[in-house]
Amino acid sequence: MSEKTFQARLMQLVTRRPVLRIGLIIVVLLILIINHLGITLWKLVEGAGNLKRLGAEALPPDFSVLTERAGWAYPACTYESDFLCSPAVIGMTQTIEIAILATVFGMILSLPLAAMAATNLSPPWLAQSTRQVLAAMRVLPSLIWALIFVIVVGIGPLAGVLAMTMYTVGYLGKLQYEALEGVSKEPLEVARTMGLPRWQVARFFAIPEASNALLSQMLFMFEYNVRHGSVIGLVGAGGIGWYMNHYLSPFQQYDKVLALIIVLYFVVVAIDQISLRVRRNFIDGDAEYRKPRWRDVLITRDVQG
Amino acid sequence: MVVEGLPRLRFSKASIGFVGDTPLIVDVEMTVNAGEIVGLTGRSGIGKTTLLRTAAGLISTLSGTVECCCTESTRAERGAIGLIPQRLGLVQHQSVGYNVILGALAKASLLQTAFSLPNRVMRDATRDAIEAVGLSDKTLESVNRLSGGQQRRVAIARAMVQNPQLLLADECLGELDAETAREIIDLLRSLARDHGMAILVVDHNPVRVRTFCDRVFQLRGHSLIPFDEEPADRGSTLPLVKEDSA
Repeated sequence: MSEKTFQARLMQLVTRRPVLRIGLIIVVLLILIINHLGITLWKLVEGAGNLKRLGAEALPPDFSVLTERAGWAYPACTYESDFLCSPAVIGMTQTIEIAILATVFGMILSLPLAAMAATNLSPPWLAQSTRQVLAAMRVLPSLIWALIFVIVVGIGPLAGVLAMTMYTVGYLGKLQYEALEGVSKEPLEVARTMGLPRWQVARFFAIPEASNALLSQMLFMFEYNVRHGSVIGLVGAGGIGWYMNHYLSPFQQYDKVLALIIVLYFVVVAIDQISLRVRRNFIDGDAEYRKPRWRDVLITRDVQG
Repeated sequence: MVVEGLPRLRFSKASIGFVGDTPLIVDVEMTVNAGEIVGLTGRSGIGKTTLLRTAAGLISTLSGTVECCCTESTRAERGAIGLIPQRLGLVQHQSVGYNVILGALAKASLLQTAFSLPNRVMRDATRDAIEAVGLSDKTLESVNRLSGGQQRRVAIARAMVQNPQLLLADECLGELDAETAREIIDLLRSLARDHGMAILVVDHNPVRVRTFCDRVFQLRGHSLIPFDEEPADRGSTLPLVKEDSA
């Protein structure tokens, strides 16, 4: 009797409280997924043992990656200094260079595509078809693009640049057409009343109107490309990931890999901080009144006098 | 080429806009001639802006015809119509100079626009227009930093550079103090007088619009009628649809 009462009360509680009902559904769903994927607690316990062994081999990190000359670097390093030709410096420099090229090329290609995909600048048939192209470019992650281009152009930074550019076009294009669709309609109507063709409406009215958002997005994409530039190296597309892979396979020198990860971490944090400061200029407070200047960002006011 | 002697804007039995299934304004008959400032007044929400946007070619008529800057092909030439929307349509975060020179785009060649290389005539016209509206010291300043009155002057300077045959101005005097409004009116008058522009001005203030316009029309109910003339049915100044729904 008491059990029946408990069940009845539980059902009453579940049916009366929608949050509890949804929570219960989510918990059941999670249990089903975990079961379907064959995840068990025992595997986690086993993993802890492996983690301990990995930690023992990786610690302390071997920072010789910053001092030893990488004679096997590709392309070959010709500087006298061992530091400048160390795996960490070459790898990080390549990663940043790949990110810069991919961001600039991606921006150049994505901007016209974004204007074609914006419904306020293009006829519906063109906007929809361009959106499909951009979506198709986003479907593949940068790692898969890197694999494709390593097959096409061989191992090296070129594959990385092409892979990151393709992904940048797809991703940045989407952000850009959303920014362009958000611009005020009045400048566009002024242009249309003047009888200007669509490309001039986009070039002289919509893009300048959205310029702050577009520049902010470009910087965000640069940050993203630096972070992901390390991953594509694992499949041979250049950058610091390529040097990590060199130590991982076949030598399994985890202490050097950890040192490279630490270097990557500090560089990414530094770029994030610089980018954040720059982007703040584009999107926050003062930007309402003043177009940001690179001089303000790169040179402090004290130096400017 | 514009055919001389013909009005720059002519509505003939035009029905415009719609609220539900009913046209917002019916049987519009109106002309605006070269060198003339015509005012359009009426209550808020009655369809003044809709009529102006129809004249600009941004909205199609439901029936009847609208002829703008009547050419031999009855279609307006590129740059023949200028628009100053209610919120001015300035490109934000860009300088006064940038916004004003945009008026020259309609007459620029493909090469000039493709490479953003305005010629001397365009640059001179821009400088003269900025000087005429009294903003020479603000040429490189972002339009976001200007006051409402100064922004209106930028929009007028853009129209001066464009030098259209028909200028459509929507509430370009709204929320301005009397002195600034007077300055803007003087600028509009000089555009009509010196440039021979036909100007259609929308203003919700019937007293003010009568002080500087050659002719004034008002929207009452679903009709456009000359000011001072009462509509035949002496209807409300609100659209009939709104009356029905009320």
